[in-house]
Amino acid sequence: MTSRFHYDLVALVIFTVVIVFGVPALMNYDGFELNTFARYLALAIVSMALALSWGTAGLLNLGQAATFGMGSYAMAMHLKLRASNGLPDFMGWNNVPELPLIWMPFESLAFTLLAGLLIPAFVGGLIAIFMFRARIAGVFVAIITLAFLVAFQLLVIDQQGLTGGQNGLTGLAQLSLPGWTVDPYSMGFYYLVAGCLAVALAVGVYLTHSKFGLVLRAIREDADRTRFFGYNVATYQTAVFCISAALAGWAGMLYTMVLEFASPTYMGVSFSLAIVIWCAVGGRESVIAAAFGAIIVNMLEGRLSDVFVEGWHLMLGVIFVLVVMFMPRGIYGLLSELAAKLRRAGRQGNAASIDPSSKTQLETGQEQ
Amino acid sequence: MKRRDFLGGVGAVGTAGILSTPALLTSASRALAQGNDIPVGLLFSLTGAVAVVESTLHDAALMAIEEINAAGGIHGRQLRPIIEDPASDPATYADRARRLMIRDKCVSVFGSYTSASRQAVLPVTEQRKNLYWYPTLYEGRECSRNVMYGGAVPNQQQDELIPWAIENFGPRFYMIGNNYVYPKEENNYCKTLLSEYGGEVVHEEYVPLGHSDFSSVINRIRSEQPDVIFATVVGDSDVAFARQYHAAELDPAKMPVVSLTRSEVEVKAIGGEAAAGHFSSAPYFMGHDTPENEKFVEAYKSRYGADQVTHFVSEAAYFQVYQFKAALEKLDPANITPETIRDAAVGLTLNAPQGEILIDENLHTHLWPKIGQWQTNGQAEVLVESTERIAPKPYAAYDGQTCTGEGLVKA
Amino acid sequence: MDVIANQLFAGLSMASIMLMIALGLAIIYGAMGVINLAHGEFVMLGAYATWALQTYAGLGILPALPLVFVAVGAVGWVIEKVVVQNLYHRPLDTILATWGIGIILQQAVRLGVGAESRFVKGPELLSGNTEIGPLIMSNYRLFVIFFSIAVLWGSWLLMTRTEFGMKLRAIIQNRSISECYGIESKRVYSITFAYGAGLAGIAGALITPLFSTIPTMGTGLVVDAFLVVIVGGLGSLIGAATASVLIGEATALFSMIMNDTLGRIAVLAGIILLIRFRPRGLFPTETRR
Repeated sequence: MTSRFHYDLVALVIFTVVIVFGVPALMNYDGFELNTFARYLALAIVSMALALSWGTAGLLNLGQAATFGMGSYAMAMHLKLRASNGLPDFMGWNNVPELPLIWMPFESLAFTLLAGLLIPAFVGGLIAIFMFRARIAGVFVAIITLAFLVAFQLLVIDQQGLTGGQNGLTGLAQLSLPGWTVDPYSMGFYYLVAGCLAVALAVGVYLTHSKFGLVLRAIREDADRTRFFGYNVATYQTAVFCISAALAGWAGMLYTMVLEFASPTYMGVSFSLAIVIWCAVGGRESVIAAAFGAIIVNMLEGRLSDVFVEGWHLMLGVIFVLVVMFMPRGIYGLLSELAAKLRRAGRQGNAASIDPSSKTQLETGQEQ
Repeated sequence: MKRRDFLGGVGAVGTAGILSTPALLTSASRALAQGNDIPVGLLFSLTGAVAVVESTLHDAALMAIEEINAAGGIHGRQLRPIIEDPASDPATYADRARRLMIRDKCVSVFGSYTSASRQAVLPVTEQRKNLYWYPTLYEGRECSRNVMYGGAVPNQQQDELIPWAIENFGPRFYMIGNNYVYPKEENNYCKTLLSEYGGEVVHEEYVPLGHSDFSSVINRIRSEQPDVIFATVVGDSDVAFARQYHAAELDPAKMPVVSLTRSEVEVKAIGGEAAAGHFSSAPYFMGHDTPENEKFVEAYKSRYGADQVTHFVSEAAYFQVYQFKAALEKLDPANITPETIRDAAVGLTLNAPQGEILIDENLHTHLWPKIGQWQTNGQAEVLVESTERIAPKPYAAYDGQTCTGEGLVKA
Repeated sequence: MDVIANQLFAGLSMASIMLMIALGLAIIYGAMGVINLAHGEFVMLGAYATWALQTYAGLGILPALPLVFVAVGAVGWVIEKVVVQNLYHRPLDTILATWGIGIILQQAVRLGVGAESRFVKGPELLSGNTEIGPLIMSNYRLFVIFFSIAVLWGSWLLMTRTEFGMKLRAIIQNRSISECYGIESKRVYSITFAYGAGLAGIAGALITPLFSTIPTMGTGLVVDAFLVVIVGGLGSLIGAATASVLIGEATALFSMIMNDTLGRIAVLAGIILLIRFRPRGLFPTETRR
């Protein structure tokens, strides 16, 4: 473990302190405002999950929304069963006579929580094996995952009797854990989501700094060379895809609890691209920065749409273009370049040489 | 990357987070104007996919609010419209509804077009015991005590339409709709009517929302040769369907499209020529001849442009604001809450552009169904007008279930 | 049998529309490796330009085509100069930037023209059907099919028979060496991008009589067009044509056997498999980058 790892840990601690203690205090512990913020935190998890596969391993997964949706629906199915005695109402509307087999295990909370993580991981794994065994890379990964996303969303909308179709699953119960009914407008719920994000980030930070993360970065820079070193590239890629999918599923479960419904909108192309944008704005190289990007963009959206009802979409578009053009590595990149400059300026008296390592890092970052 | 780099970056990220948060959140604690005005929310998408229709609803509702204000408000108090743009996204609907109902303390929110958006708003509305005025025709089978339903439910659109269509064109129906709950539910109800009047379904199919190439559907229609195309295709899909139907030269005199969803807005985009000869069933058409409608259409056109059209959903968005006003006028100004408004609204009658309407105790609206045939000028000629006001039965297709003033009752 | 014949025609018609949209994209992607997610918005701009010309200048769709081509091409040229040009060394980032541009164009049109669906009248000349036995073909759709073939042929000539095309192919082969020979790659790129955008504009003009003209109409089209380009192979015009015919016919036939939704899912699954086993597309071109 390097000392870089320690700096990431410091960042993680600061981030966690801010979201756990700072944000609630700023919002006067108002449950409803915090519910909105909890939504951003759930989205931050899916953004950091993308940073794992995209930033670390260079695999741009445009199907992230599909795995997010699986988690979201798993939780919604459980809560829907809790809310209805017997058959869920929408099944009656779709002339489904009895509870379908795949709904049955979702009666159990334990199964639901596991399924919300493992089903996305499994599906993500299947796609990953399918792609990476054939050494598919670059833009083709993006296109395959995109096509999968479109097909999956169509399927979910088509199977109305099972999924509620376009309207999604609505009229959900509140999650009841042993001894605690989770009210999405309570402080407790906010801490639950914030805690989940902190844990997810900790996992992300650990992974990026482990040997596993190192190999992934090597694959990102040059898959063939890594292969010559004897690493099984496909296995590493598949593993990171699975982990990223599981985290997305986790975020989806929390998202359903925040919104109190699940909707196929969040399996759509625009949502998937929005995740990519959050990740890019924050900085794809760091999971913490990606999470921060999701929070900041969503807050900005909320704020802009408040002030400029008509023109806010336009501004958002302009901001994205500017970010991509002038901050290719996101907020994270901007800040670290700034820091590097300051440091160089401060050191100029001592040594005239330009730090070679930070320069290389800059260039490789831009090639992504 | 060097370590100090990183620390600097992270430190700055942390600081930026702390510094920027209050600035971004100041609106959250914006002091509520405890003035004399009445805050009402307008929750219609001005951007995104459903903006095409919802922007017209927004315009109609806003016009009604400003008319009321210009006429002196309610009990001398002005209505203060608070406009939010949910951008056609369900989560944003829920989020903005929350803002309107909690932060802005709106006593009512007027909003939305799609079923999905209504259902996204429902949990918040019910939890906060607020009142959501929903102007759109919908599939029924909902009985919330916190939603005022201004549009038609299946029995109001179909009870007269189906026997009329069988009698005039024949019993063989081809059902085409978008793939979501509204078309399926309307078709469910249609099938019960068909079996009652001796009609049959030759084919039933659903295309994804936003589907735009109907050549396969048209080929199927051509080979099945049905008597009636029973259409519940919405929005752009309907525009594409109608234009391609026309381009394929299928004759409306032999195989008319009878639509529950096509209004003046769609016809304007379809073009009068392609829409001419087909039918729609709705409680309101722009050309309807009442003094109230004349006033409504004239005001709308002079405000938003002479080429603008009114339609059966924008009419409801408009009259619902007046229903809201009438309910408030019955109340003691000191006691205005969403629940008292709701209770005051039940039983209210109002001369709407379509005729005199009544709010049922189940919070749906008694309406005047009509069947119109589209003309080349983009307007409908009303062929059949119901002789009496039709009561809303949101559970008409389901025996033993009725929506009453106490909510849903199962026998 | 009649049904199958008619359905084959339907597939061909879908293919021709897809080809018109995908052609510009294939040229841009093939030449510069730019994934232009704003392409759908260029189609939308074309549709709106047609509407504006018809409403305010009384021009029909057919005489409007060259004007639309120039207008949308100009917009593409500006966008290339201002944004895309700076991103050629970061191809994946162009996805994000062009997505942002798409949002901007969409909202600009919405704010300027309004959100409602606009009506464009089809050409009188091409109304009606042509019937060959049981086969009933809409004249307008027939026209789009022939027109798309003509544009494909024109683009092919441009690429292979003109000096401009030669320069472009040289740059695709090796940009820096071409520059050594005095080819201004920046200028060639700008013109190519503008040409691709102009083609999208024409596609937008051609679909107005069949589809609904709204600010968001492009979003759904761009994904399909992309799949066509990828399946066809990097920048190959013949590949794009073959892929659109394949995808169009497959969609039509699947939707006859199943329904439109399942048909589309089946086609997407097929595309995924195809990319898996032929990631460089049906007609890969040999390039050195």
